[in-house]
Parts: sequence; structure tokens; C-alpha cells
Amino acid sequence: MNADKVLDAKGLACPMPIVRTKKAIEELQTGQILEVQSTDKGSKNDLTGWANSTGHQLLENREENGIYTFWIKKK
Amino acid sequence: MATKVAIIAANGGMFDAYKVFNIATAAAASDAEVGIFFTFEGLNLIHKQAHHQLPMPAGAEHFEEGFKKANVPSIPELVSMAQELGVKIIACQMTMDVMNLNEEDFIDGIEVGGAATFIDYAKDANISLSF
Repeated sequence: MNADKVLDAKGLACPMPIVRTKKAIEELQTGQILEVQSTDKGSKNDLTGWANSTGHQLLENREENGIYTFWIKKK
Repeated sequence: MATKVAIIAANGGMFDAYKVFNIATAAAASDAEVGIFFTFEGLNLIHKQAHHQLPMPAGAEHFEEGFKKANVPSIPELVSMAQELGVKIIACQMTMDVMNLNEEDFIDGIEVGGAATFIDYAKDANISLSF
């Protein structure tokens, strides 16, 4: 998936992936897509919950070799 | 419905600080309005010097390594992150008087208030937490 911005949150512990994601999405325009990469095992549930709370749309997520990747569309 | 979170921080150890500031920053990053009332030992968490050297619980000192390994941010980092995200920090006036502390003893950007200040803030909160 093509992202307008990629956030590398690998190696960060809770709550940093969420905090960085919030900051990164603020720099985007409505409809643009943010890609987030994380190694925090909690981030799959956390990013899903965060999208639910904020109203941004989690389009897809994938796990590969311990790296979680999320694509989020800004509301 | 917009989320409003009201937190009471009444304990002053390292674990207490993580509980308070992790929840507060996660909530603020999720677009919630967040306010924390720091009272009694909880004031350590925003004291200029004390929040840099909060004690680990007795018998839990060995977790220090786990914090480093997990790359958990330091408490001062979490505090400034919380403030950057707009978390409101209220220090308890009564405890400050008892402990002979002034606003200058605390990190910048705090409010000082009493129990009624917190109640007024928390009256329409949909999440209330006490640590």
C-alpha cells in the first residue's frame, strides 16, 4: 500500500508508538495514509484501539518477522 | 462522545509514576481531555528534583534492568510528553501547605488547586482513575 508518510516506531515501548502516531498523523491532510512500523507486541491492539478512539481508519495491518505494520487513513 | 479522563495520583514511587503517566499520555494521544490531581505522595511525580529519582518498590529493584531493556521512556520524558499533549496537571494546595512546598518546587506549567478544583474538573469525566 502506498503511504504518504512512514513512521518508524520500532524499538519503542508503550505508550510511545501511540504518542508518535498521533504526532505523525497531525502532519497529514484528510484522506492521506500513514504507515506505522512497530515492534511493540501490544501495538496491534493499541493501534486498533487508538484508531477506534480517534476515528482515523485502520485500513490494514500486517506482522512479519516481529515487525507490525499498520496503514491508517486520516479522518 | 468526547472522552474526558480524570486521574488522582496519590502515590510517589517509580511504578506509580509509570501507571499515571502511561495512561495519561495514551489517553491524550487518543484525543481525550486529561487532567491529573497530584496529592500527598503523588506530588513526588511532579516535584522538580524528586521526579528524576523516584524509588522502586522494595524488592523490585531488579526490574530496573527490565525498564532499560524494554526501552521504556524515563519519567521526565513522559512528563514533558504529557504536558506537550495538553494534559492538565493540578497540584494539591493542602498537601503543599502541609509539606511546606511552593509552586516553584514543581515542574513548570502546573496549576495549584484544592479538592473542589478537581471535583469541578472531574464532574463530567467519563473515565475516572485513582493511582
